[in-house]
Amino acid sequence: MSCCEHLAYSGQEQTILDRIAGKRDPNELKHPRLYKLISVFDGKKPFIDVERARLFTESMKETEGEMLVLRWAKALKHMGENMTVYIDDDQLIVGRMGHQGSRYGILYPELDGDYQASALKELPADPASPFEVTAEDSKVVEELITPYWKDKTFHQDLNKRLPKDSHRLAYADEGGYQSRYICCETASNRSSLQWCLDYERLLKLGYKGIKEEALAALAALDPDDPLDQCEKRPYLEAMVLLSEGIVTWAHRYAAKARELAAAEKNEQRRKELLQIAENCDWVPENPPRTFYEALQSHWFVQAFARLEQKISSNPTNGRMDQLFWPYYEKDVREGRLDEDKAVELLQCMWVNMAQCLDLAITPYNKATHEGYSHWEAVTIGGQTRDGRDATNELTYVVLRSKRECPLHYPDLAARIHARSPERYLYEVAETIKQGCGFPKLLNDEEIIPLHLAKGAPLADIYDYAASGCAEIRMPRVDTYTSGHAQFSLGAAVELTLYNGRMKKFGDELLTLETGDVRTFDTWEKFWNAYVKQQMFIIRHAFLQQYYIIQTRAEHFATPISDSLHVLAMRECVDLHQHHQYKGGLNLGYFECLGYSTAIDSLAAIKKVVYEDGVLSMQEVLDALECDFVGKEDVQAILANAPKYGNDDEYADSIGLEIDRLAQEFSAKYAQRLGIRCDFRMVPFTSHVPFGRVVSATPNGRKAWTPLSDGSSASHGADINGPTAVLRSNFNTKNYNMSQRAARLLNVKFSPKCLEGESGTRKLVDFIRVFCDLRLWHVQFNVINRETLIQAQQHPELYKGLIVRIAGYSAYFTELSRDLQNDLIARTEHDKV
Amino acid sequence: MSATLGTIFNIQKFSIHDGPGIRTLVFFKGCPLRCLWCCNPESQSPELEHGYNPDKCFGCGRCVARCSHGVLSLKEDRTLDIRRDLCRAECPDCVKVCPDKALVFYGKRYTVEEVLKVVEQDALFYTRSGGGLTVSGGEPLMQPEFLLALCKEARRRRIDVAMETSGFASEDVFLSVMPWVGYLMVDVKHMDDETHRRVTGVSNRPILSNLRALRREFPNMPLRVRTPVIPGVNDSEENLMATSEFARSLGAEYELLAYHSMGRSKYRSLGRPYPMGDAELSKEAFASLREKVSSL
Repeated sequence: MSCCEHLAYSGQEQTILDRIAGKRDPNELKHPRLYKLISVFDGKKPFIDVERARLFTESMKETEGEMLVLRWAKALKHMGENMTVYIDDDQLIVGRMGHQGSRYGILYPELDGDYQASALKELPADPASPFEVTAEDSKVVEELITPYWKDKTFHQDLNKRLPKDSHRLAYADEGGYQSRYICCETASNRSSLQWCLDYERLLKLGYKGIKEEALAALAALDPDDPLDQCEKRPYLEAMVLLSEGIVTWAHRYAAKARELAAAEKNEQRRKELLQIAENCDWVPENPPRTFYEALQSHWFVQAFARLEQKISSNPTNGRMDQLFWPYYEKDVREGRLDEDKAVELLQCMWVNMAQCLDLAITPYNKATHEGYSHWEAVTIGGQTRDGRDATNELTYVVLRSKRECPLHYPDLAARIHARSPERYLYEVAETIKQGCGFPKLLNDEEIIPLHLAKGAPLADIYDYAASGCAEIRMPRVDTYTSGHAQFSLGAAVELTLYNGRMKKFGDELLTLETGDVRTFDTWEKFWNAYVKQQMFIIRHAFLQQYYIIQTRAEHFATPISDSLHVLAMRECVDLHQHHQYKGGLNLGYFECLGYSTAIDSLAAIKKVVYEDGVLSMQEVLDALECDFVGKEDVQAILANAPKYGNDDEYADSIGLEIDRLAQEFSAKYAQRLGIRCDFRMVPFTSHVPFGRVVSATPNGRKAWTPLSDGSSASHGADINGPTAVLRSNFNTKNYNMSQRAARLLNVKFSPKCLEGESGTRKLVDFIRVFCDLRLWHVQFNVINRETLIQAQQHPELYKGLIVRIAGYSAYFTELSRDLQNDLIARTEHDKV
Repeated sequence: MSATLGTIFNIQKFSIHDGPGIRTLVFFKGCPLRCLWCCNPESQSPELEHGYNPDKCFGCGRCVARCSHGVLSLKEDRTLDIRRDLCRAECPDCVKVCPDKALVFYGKRYTVEEVLKVVEQDALFYTRSGGGLTVSGGEPLMQPEFLLALCKEARRRRIDVAMETSGFASEDVFLSVMPWVGYLMVDVKHMDDETHRRVTGVSNRPILSNLRALRREFPNMPLRVRTPVIPGVNDSEENLMATSEFARSLGAEYELLAYHSMGRSKYRSLGRPYPMGDAELSKEAFASLREKVSSL
């Protein structure tokens, strides 16, 4: 065993410590423009900007009764013509949706407008993810926006439709404002699941081309065909209006840039502004000619997509190293661009993303998406459409632009496959060692065969993009956008123990009565009761899905996604409609929280009560009743029973069974909903609020503390090292079934464990095995526990500290105390 | 396969500093040396033995109720009195009911199959990293029959074997296992025999001669000689230079390991005093020694 004892720091920790010691960040000298752009908003609370909501509402008032997709396109055009245009000093990529020179969030009253006025009163004081709002803007919301949306929002409509039994598991009040955190719809939080636009279509056609396509289709409509006239015509007219709207918006930026250039004294900046003007005149109307134009076009469209609707959480960036490679390669070859300039342009884009935050309004959304969560993932690496390795020089430029950037925007996903080159894995590992949680890894060897089984075309699944926290999208094949239900396996355990009731909610029968556990004389009886509770909850997750699908089609439209989707354009059906496109796949999911909490609780009961007889059920119940106070010995016995995350078959076999039951339910019933509804384990930050309603559990977990996250082990339970964590994940997957979706996995390493060249090598090897094991996702926090504790105590010194949460990174000091503690408690693997 | 049982006190996965690649460490129980600074005192006795940590003990008495040999009793302060001499270690019931592993058994009897079942769980990690199994201790050579059976079977299953040893054994035993070992790490604690006897309890002669024999019989064996630098014991420049010179003569890599006192609590758990007292090795002193040795 090694005897050397010293502390090592991640790159990020070293930078923070150097700054505290008065040294400058070396990246600041390398990237002066980036640091100047950031300094304007660094450390300031973001603003809520109401302009989008106001313009959207204005337009929607005028178009009542028209087809939804057309109304949406008109609203977008209205915004393109009237949104204030700003260009921040020093910025090279333009297109903003809110306050100048700050971070901002925008409002979507069509989702939760009924609630916004009161939410705005609470937001500035919110301890996690706070926002500023001016009195003037508050007034606009209260007087103009909220009154119009009263009784018209998606949230209110869905709330009314949910049957009583489902409603009870989702909400604690009649109006559906307070969550119950047992089985909760997430569709009210966003009008679309995380989404990846087909940017290739944009780059190839430009909006001029898209408009021409729509005009040609309009001209070809049969004047006597009622469907052509009543459905396709308004759809196609919407495409024309949308194209005009976004091009108008870009041209207004061109004009603004010229206006600023005329007044600019600095020659260098004047040139930059004129270049910006030229770019905005050309894209997104036309196909870009350079790398710079391609980036500008891409940003305009994803920015406009943010104005269009709330995508959870933000539109995805797609495979940037593939999309932009032809432009990069050509520009470099022809001497217009070098690596440093490309990094600068990319970082300008990252700043734009960092400024536009996904704003959470409802209590549920706030609690489940702390720290301004965001998943605008940039995808790198992976394979080409014909199954070759896709890594190129731009892959490394993107990695560098992130390694040398102090922002946690955008989220970065690296695709890994069996033939990923060594250099790629080394640079990925080096970037992970910086300690900011980038990149997260997605595994081609799991995702590709699985999606083939789900019906994906081979070339399209080779070409998938990361989207959302751990999900993926095939931009030409995915056609399903509805939010899903999240449910708590922690609650299922508690409902079993208390015969369908939970301590938090008193005597109210929440699910069904499965018997008094004290009368169960065998493990099988206990297990059967648990299964009944779990399946009751899953049943309601599917019922909620039905109503989400129905309600959504009457409330939302997404002309931008349509315009960049070859199937929607062919059939002229908006993507928010419940529709089976020819060649499309409706990939949805349902999601559990507290997977490990349930496995560990059940394993403890099985072992301690039924096998070893160390405790009676009454003793367990007594200890849970008093939250282990004065019964710490019972808590310790339970906590020392077999646990998931240790490559221990005893616990893992229970996890496998839970997974199988959920997948079988989906195999039987998802088709009745007209979608695939696959079993997913991705928490956002939901494991914290879902934990707040669950009393003490038989894995030794104290009442109201967080449940386990994603498919990770319970806090501190994985004591057998990181290899065992991967193996347990593998052990609990039913590889013979395809009703499974993403599994998010967190692994925390101490920087010491990965120190130096040999540490990088070990991380590369670890990643190779992750790939071999066909796990879906893994992400790393490389940080010393002590640093987190210091940051909690001295937030002013650590405000730049970035940590990985659930498929996204956030500033540690912008998180709630509960979530901070949760991150501290995640096991740190530093065994050497 | 051999039905021999081995006494193992720990199996540790994801070890990355004990041989090439990602490895699983199998700790053999029992050691002929009694190094004053030993950080694994539970590895010294070849017998199974109780470890007890009163800080984690709830004084619940569950273990006392399970023991039929009169080994355990609760003292007035609700901590345990352990009559280690009465324990037959045949009935691990007492540790099974202990809530928080305050009472444990150091050592468990394993078959080769049982050890390899655990080791093979991480087989993919060995494949990818060039890692494998590392036998360590204690002193693996003290259980030669089991060690040989384990190494042979591991190699048959294409698992690479590395060994950490004091080198203290008869030459026959020492060499017998080498055909199955792919990487060897030997600790040379002192070059002076008398001092060696004083601080480890045994002569260094068999160790040094075994190493020479190894080179003679297995000239290509990758070898790493290591010295744990112990303040006031072997940290003289002269001794370290001599050890380094010796290692070089064997064509071995040479490495210094810094003393630490992390084993202290284990002595307490075994009811024994910590022989090193408050000795500390300063970071600077160690760094300077390491530099001198590497500049040789």
